[in-house]
Amino acid sequence: MLRRETGDGQFCPGSEDLRRFRAFTCAGAASLALAGATLFAGGLGDPALAKTPKAKPPATVTTAVRRITESQYRHTIADIFGPDIKVNARFEPERRQDGLLAIGSTDLSVTTSGLEQYFALGGSISEQVMDPKSRDTQIGCKPADPGKPDAKCAREFISTVGQKLFRRPLTEGEISARLTTAERGATLAHDFYSGLQLSLTSLLLAPEFLFRTETAEPDPASPGQYRLDAYSKATRLSFLFWDTAPDAELLAAATSGDLQTPAGLNKQVARLAASPRLDDGVRAYFTDMLQFDQFESLNKDAATYPKFSQAVADSAREQTLKTLVDLLIDRKGDYRDIFTSNETFINRYLASIYKVPFASSQEWTRYTFPQSSERSGILTQVTFLSLFSHPGRSSPTRRGIKLHEIFTCQPTPDPPANVDFSKVQAIQNGTVRTRLIDHMTNEGCSICHQSSDPPGLTLEHFDGLGQLRTTENGLPIDVSADIDGVKFSGAQGLGKFMHDDPNVPACLVKQVYGYSIGRAAGYRDQSYIARETEAFAKSGYQVPALLTAMATSPEFFAVKIPAGVKVASQSDTPTSPTR
Amino acid sequence: MSLRFNRRSMLRGLLGGAGVGLGLPALDIFLDVNGKAWADGTKLPVRFGTYFWGLGLTDTPTGGTRWVPTKKGPGYEITPELASLAPVKDKVSVFSGFRAIGDGRPNVVHWSGHASILSGIAPAVTGSFDGPSFDTRIADAIGSSSRFKSIDISPSGKALSYSTRTGKSFSTPEITPVSLYERIYGEGFQDPNNPNWKPDPKVMLKQSILSAVTDQRQALMADVGTADKVKLDQYFTSVREMENQLELQLQKPEKCEACVVPGRPGEAKKSASIDVVNENNKAMAKLLAMAMACNQTRVFNCVHTPGASETYIAGDSKIYHQYTHDEPTDAKLGYQPMSSKLAGMVMQGFGDFLAEMDAVKEGDGTLLDNSLIMGFSDTGYAKIHSLENIPMLLAGGAGGRHKAGQHISSEGESVTRVSLTAQQIIGAPVGEFGTGAMKTSRPITEVMA
Repeated sequence: MLRRETGDGQFCPGSEDLRRFRAFTCAGAASLALAGATLFAGGLGDPALAKTPKAKPPATVTTAVRRITESQYRHTIADIFGPDIKVNARFEPERRQDGLLAIGSTDLSVTTSGLEQYFALGGSISEQVMDPKSRDTQIGCKPADPGKPDAKCAREFISTVGQKLFRRPLTEGEISARLTTAERGATLAHDFYSGLQLSLTSLLLAPEFLFRTETAEPDPASPGQYRLDAYSKATRLSFLFWDTAPDAELLAAATSGDLQTPAGLNKQVARLAASPRLDDGVRAYFTDMLQFDQFESLNKDAATYPKFSQAVADSAREQTLKTLVDLLIDRKGDYRDIFTSNETFINRYLASIYKVPFASSQEWTRYTFPQSSERSGILTQVTFLSLFSHPGRSSPTRRGIKLHEIFTCQPTPDPPANVDFSKVQAIQNGTVRTRLIDHMTNEGCSICHQSSDPPGLTLEHFDGLGQLRTTENGLPIDVSADIDGVKFSGAQGLGKFMHDDPNVPACLVKQVYGYSIGRAAGYRDQSYIARETEAFAKSGYQVPALLTAMATSPEFFAVKIPAGVKVASQSDTPTSPTR
Repeated sequence: MSLRFNRRSMLRGLLGGAGVGLGLPALDIFLDVNGKAWADGTKLPVRFGTYFWGLGLTDTPTGGTRWVPTKKGPGYEITPELASLAPVKDKVSVFSGFRAIGDGRPNVVHWSGHASILSGIAPAVTGSFDGPSFDTRIADAIGSSSRFKSIDISPSGKALSYSTRTGKSFSTPEITPVSLYERIYGEGFQDPNNPNWKPDPKVMLKQSILSAVTDQRQALMADVGTADKVKLDQYFTSVREMENQLELQLQKPEKCEACVVPGRPGEAKKSASIDVVNENNKAMAKLLAMAMACNQTRVFNCVHTPGASETYIAGDSKIYHQYTHDEPTDAKLGYQPMSSKLAGMVMQGFGDFLAEMDAVKEGDGTLLDNSLIMGFSDTGYAKIHSLENIPMLLAGGAGGRHKAGQHISSEGESVTRVSLTAQQIIGAPVGEFGTGAMKTSRPITEVMA
């Protein structure tokens, strides 16, 4: 049962209140019982006012409800309360679809066990925020009497922080619900801050924070059409460029309406792209695209790979992200060079895996792989090589499958269930190439293995952890390949091959688009993707240019009215993208 | 199948078996869960769990089965891959020959089997079910009077659960003994046998956090589409369960004689090797068993190892999954020796799990006697991703409602019959389960008391 809000922001009790009231009294909390009684007295709402008024016109439609990711949660908290706040929790598993968690997360909700985590985490964050040492700065106002409720200061805090968390101004209903909580808590605990702490926890637990709700409103420029409202636009931009909630300036541009004008949009996009915080956005995107979430559960057999540890896994992840930020943002490089560049960064852990000396006194140092290392580009870093291997050995098939899936948007179907495996037998001797020959010639297996294995085999000079080797079972490893008539050899050959594959930049454009809008780019998006890919090429494959071009295009904010929504101003026909 | 009659099968027989499989003992709200049960010792609460392991068991087309007992009915013999169950054999029923039926849908490898068993629907794609998993229905029926409606664990360290209400969002499992311990016995835990119990005022404060959230429900749901509504419904279901959890914490817990609060476990090793997985599994089973004895939860889900299991024998470069596919069938033995060895090791996990539950004395019997655990896998013979003869087991006496210790053999009937049986034994209000060719209203009455 819900409680109904009355016009003056007070509440009349539904059965939920009765239940809670009973609980309070049975627990013998006299003061709380009194508070409960006060609430009851506030009661008797007009049913006509039962529906909470929203700060938007009634013709709006919620077009998406997307659970925020762990890194978006973390970045938002750090932005609002500072980097010292500890966010210590295990987040609910995310789900990859069409290559991206960002797309899969649009299907996700919060399960009971997940809510428990958010509940405990929210409590821990608000406790840190209300720490007596720092709370004055965090809250921004002081109560008249710290032993009592103070509606004025509480309101100020709730609406300020609430706006940052909900990525839009709070409605009166949302504020007054938290004011009630703050008052209740302060009364019960005889402490203003305890009450405010509860309010903050409730904001952190709210679906309006945990989910990105995108809202469409009637488009004044095209009657009958819908457009994304300004706050939803601000949120899309901010999460793409900075992986966090919109900052004050972006929210202000939404409030003023500037963001709905081309000039206002261009100005904000330029600002977002020029900020050093673009690093966060680019890191978040590639963490998703390169499937680094899998590091959480990466296991290596300790006897086979004694050098592997969590520190190695964390370092490897950081190495690739540093490499990408350096190349793509700092040096405004060509995206395709991620497959060929020898420029990278290493730390002590990685130096040991790459078998190179580490002389720096810094934690990380720039490093250029020499030709003899056989390494070039991110495919030859520990990330890709270890992530897509087995615990005790490399896997050309997995590497090949992931290569296609991640970089060229060509997923490999599951192996046919009814394939005749009787001929697929283990061979103890020889190299993995001999073992895989059968897959490549066996009917039923061949169609996929002929595509996945050849590029995977060119990476075979790197074992399941990414360490260089040239023999297996005493035999030299053959790393040559012939793909569609293009002959090359080894990881460096593969890097060059990928660099020149036109599917690679097109795939990036497609995935960045899907990442932003929360659904896979489909057939109807093809011409848009093609246009953006062309522009991307013209820019010299510069990623910041790509982001800017997309974020200022109308398609980036296209609205799709979801099934099951009655649109007030028109029939059931979904609207096409607004231009 | 043998002709056996009892009160339940008679009733069903008379009505032609159509949709009347409603479990007789019904919901536990009809049972005495208010503590009187503990006093007279006759009606202890019944618990339910699912236990999944990856890669099936060995049953080669050449007839070299390593797990299906020869003897049918009661008193089946222990087979090599079921060896770990020997100590509790009389408390376990074995179901062989049941299959997942795709109805034209593809065999989504390492997914269709358990998706069918849990949701009753052959899934369209990997990673999601086309309906809720039935453990959530059981949790709704019996899980409301314990602190947690259900607990999920995944001892292999992969954050994996197959328990879902929406088919898309799956529960978050505990993946280490320490995190499981913290969840159950950490903050918010109330020792049911503490004579000096007092309500914790903090709980009331927590309740007011949730009330602010639920206040906004209507506003939030006003203009959302169908798919988004499902997500928000799930969210608010979670909030309600949280409210229920807090409400229970304000009530004096019933005494639980069998409850002995365990000590904090040590940090676990992190590895997919089978020895480590089994070690963690055992430690977590111990904590979970006590959580049930202490009435913290009545429902659980355990994923011992995932579908395409990455587990392996420490030091061996080849994982179990690879062995199942490319290990040759030994001509003399008639099966894949390493795969079978690994299957036995994986099943050791289930044996250990049941042993931990059987070690908790409760009333005249053990916790296992008052529980029903459905053990199952994703596949039959893993080499060919077979959806036939998927091994399924029902363990525990279910408070006298499970006639355990039998081997039920089928000629390719739907796995959902076993799922339905589990639901009816536990008393969930379900008369029919599954869709299409897997739709059934016929539980396996031989094992129902």
